[in-house]
Amino acid sequence: MKRIALFLLPLALFLFISLFLLQGLFSDPRERESSLLNRPVPAFSLPDVMDETRIYTPEVFEGEVTLLNVWGTWCVTCAIELPFLTELKEQGVRIVGLYYEQNLDPDFGGKSIGQIRADIRQKLDQLGNPYAFNIFDHSRDTSLDLGVTGAPETFLIDSQGRIRLHHVGDLNPRVWESRFAPLYQELTQ
Amino acid sequence: MLAELGHFSLVLALFLAILLSVYPLWGAQHGQVQLMRAARPLAVGMFLFTAFAYLCLTQGFLDHDFSLAYVAHNSNSQLPWYYRITAVWGGHEGSFLLWVLIFSLWTVAVALFSRSIPLEILSRVLAILGLVGVGFYLYILLASNPFERLLPFYPVDGRDLNPLLQDFGMIIHPPMLYMGYVGFSVVFAFAIAALIAGRLDSTWARWSRPWTLAAWVFLTLGIALGSWWAYNELGWGGWWFWDPVENASFMPWLVGTALLHSLAVTEKRKVFKSWTVLLAIAAFSLSLLGTFLVRSGILVSVHSFASDPTRGLFILGLLVLVIGGSLLLYALRAPQLRSTGRYELLSRETMLIGNNILLSAATLVVLMGTLLPLVHKELGLGSISIGAPFFDQMFIYLVIPFVLLLAMGPISRWKHQPWPALRNQLLTAFSLSLACAALLHFGTDGASYMATLGILLSVWIVFSTVQEVRQRSDGKVARISQLTVSHWGMVMGHLGFAAMILGVAMVTSYSQERDVRMAAGETLNLNGYEFVFLGVEELQGPNYEGHVAKLDVLRKGKKISHLEAEKRFYPVQRSMMTEAAVDVGLTRDLYVALGEQLNNGDWALRIYVKPFVRWIWGGAILMALGGVLSICDKRYRMARLTQSDAPGTSPAGARA
Amino acid sequence: MKGWWLFVTLLLTAGPGLAEEIYAFETDAQRQIFKELTEELRCPKCQNQNIADSDALVAQDLKRKVHELMQQGYDKQQVIDYMKQRYGDFVYYQPPLSPATVWLWLGPLLFILLAAAVLVWRRRSAGNQLDPELLARADKWLEKDK
Repeated sequence: MKRIALFLLPLALFLFISLFLLQGLFSDPRERESSLLNRPVPAFSLPDVMDETRIYTPEVFEGEVTLLNVWGTWCVTCAIELPFLTELKEQGVRIVGLYYEQNLDPDFGGKSIGQIRADIRQKLDQLGNPYAFNIFDHSRDTSLDLGVTGAPETFLIDSQGRIRLHHVGDLNPRVWESRFAPLYQELTQ
Repeated sequence: MLAELGHFSLVLALFLAILLSVYPLWGAQHGQVQLMRAARPLAVGMFLFTAFAYLCLTQGFLDHDFSLAYVAHNSNSQLPWYYRITAVWGGHEGSFLLWVLIFSLWTVAVALFSRSIPLEILSRVLAILGLVGVGFYLYILLASNPFERLLPFYPVDGRDLNPLLQDFGMIIHPPMLYMGYVGFSVVFAFAIAALIAGRLDSTWARWSRPWTLAAWVFLTLGIALGSWWAYNELGWGGWWFWDPVENASFMPWLVGTALLHSLAVTEKRKVFKSWTVLLAIAAFSLSLLGTFLVRSGILVSVHSFASDPTRGLFILGLLVLVIGGSLLLYALRAPQLRSTGRYELLSRETMLIGNNILLSAATLVVLMGTLLPLVHKELGLGSISIGAPFFDQMFIYLVIPFVLLLAMGPISRWKHQPWPALRNQLLTAFSLSLACAALLHFGTDGASYMATLGILLSVWIVFSTVQEVRQRSDGKVARISQLTVSHWGMVMGHLGFAAMILGVAMVTSYSQERDVRMAAGETLNLNGYEFVFLGVEELQGPNYEGHVAKLDVLRKGKKISHLEAEKRFYPVQRSMMTEAAVDVGLTRDLYVALGEQLNNGDWALRIYVKPFVRWIWGGAILMALGGVLSICDKRYRMARLTQSDAPGTSPAGARA
Repeated sequence: MKGWWLFVTLLLTAGPGLAEEIYAFETDAQRQIFKELTEELRCPKCQNQNIADSDALVAQDLKRKVHELMQQGYDKQQVIDYMKQRYGDFVYYQPPLSPATVWLWLGPLLFILLAAAVLVWRRRSAGNQLDPELLARADKWLEKDK
């Protein structure tokens, strides 16, 4: 019997691995937890995308539960989620935009700030404007501090200004229902 | 219409596979010769119907039949004809059809080239292959049918072949790789057949060896081609990334290499039988696992096909049946295997099994490194990444004892090797290599210890190989010609490995690279080479447009090369592709990749000098050639083998 | 072609413009560290690429940040920690040592030790001439067991 035990080892190892493979089939390999969960929004001091004289700091998140939505006019998926975000806003959800733009890059950009503003206005007029205001992360440093990997991404921030949820990808009704809504209800109560 | 015929033909192939898995096995168990005789024609039929189905799909591509969903997704009217033929394996469904085609090809090869094997054994082997085939055919018909129509609304034009795959390397890489993966199914079938029959004398080891070698040769070339393709096509000058999909091909290779060696021991010395059987099962199991990893979308990788949980579930089920079933059979039958040979602790047997252990440990490293991120996440412990730093570290640890055993094995005797003789030879070879490495190390400015270690190991293998050839020929030149072909196979395989170690060590330690912005006329000095940027021109290809950067390379003021690096844009898939320009050399590659155009009109360029990078692929080719030489050994071509085959006692019997 | 050549020679003799590095460093050692870092940090957006190889925007940003931090005097480990703080362990290709990941190193080591032990043990037991009758009985018993 002892001999068999040794020879059963490969089978046991294989079955053990298969269990995880099975479980892995039903989860998204791209999904990741944020490392900033339950931490305050990192410090920043950035202008409004429409008006560089207005400066925002993390204090803007205090006192109200907020969705911070990372987006850009160049991003196709962002345009897809704009109508739904507008719907949420109409239901009373406060949404702040973190404007993420690559075209202002000194090397690759070809756009002036004026052009970008015109683009934004056009996009929001066309698809709905869910944003209370848009923070302009011109150098994308704050995005980096937030662990943003691209656009669109959405953070749920509680009324103490702490990050409670970080979602990578578009925010659609399914994601809202499964991930955001329960936590949002809890936080707003 | 043709597509429907192809589909029907695949169904017939499935039908034949079912018959193949039942009748010959039944016949073998009950001694009915008629049923056993059915195995060969059934195998041939299975192949012919699969080949017909494959041709139908190819014709669909050549005819631009965009009513076929698979063609519409992977081709385009602008695609040149040669890429339309290779586009058949550009996506999931078609590449699996190629997989099945190659599988049936191997099956038919076993049926036709195994005349010397007793009918009973052959029937079992073919039946096992048939059984595995049933799984494959069911999978392709039920979960990934390439003949699906997009009716009544089909697109006017196709979405084009992934531009990454529009390259010469990609034309031959997948078929080679699949030949290797699927080739291990033959060895697997031999092992399972032997387990079922309870006949695990060393005959099965002999019959399996040429098939193992063949599969291993293909896999070696397939992996090397993949690496070479990535180097040229991905534009970052890397040749190996430890990506899950690369790892998936590397694991069967490692186990296959172990299997080659352990088959040699089992055949000659009738020891390690249960271990060899396990390796035979493992090589194919890891090939299947690799298929699962690539096609289920379970891991994040650059190479993976579109993910689909149903498909993943199907393959996982197949995996559990095939691997689980065979490992269960193994657990029940293997304890009965008795090794009859005797050997001392200091003997060639021990060295070979030692290398087997190290190769298996390396497989375990790759397996755990590939799957642990998944397990880690599923356990709720968070996402981690396991990549080059980890694998490099582990392989450096493993390669040192591996080379030590490689240096000792071939010069040791079977059964018992007296220590003093071995010690003297070992010391000679080692001190010679140490002297070489030290000389190079202290003769080079800013020498890297890692590179020196690589040189030491590489040279050590060369010296010990020379020692071994001298020993076999008693130091007489005349006797060198009497060494068998397969002996030269071993020599070449080992030298190939030495070349590869050298290449890897040099290129990782001494590569130079610069990310630069350049305007026309500007130059970059790198490692004594002067790269002169002549400018960028527009480019128009059959199904792409882009830019080509032209550079001259000067050394000591003399022009030695002209390079044209392309950046292509494929409008249908809206993707950018880099075609690096490489000036190939024995001791260094000069490599230029074109990046973006910057705002002020300058261009971003990546320029590399990669010393000895060719040696990596050269080493792989040498190893594969070694494998080919070993297959050519006349022992495998003997018309009839006696059942009780004498243990290898010839002086040149060094096949390791 | 010849025209180009002349043009280039002219340029050369006139003192050619030298290409400007996108990420410039004062010392080769620093450049080496930068190379290592960009090859060992994982692009969080991409499928499976390091930030040196990726053209994704976030990879460019991370590369720029690595350069910036190095200019501020961060050493290799500090840069890694900075990135891990923001993007988690995922961002670095060498996994952290933890009770779960320790098997990455222990697993292969234990396998080697176990295999070596089995090898020595089986060889020894093979040497102790087993009673053939006992063996036959064991075989029969195993036969029944399957």
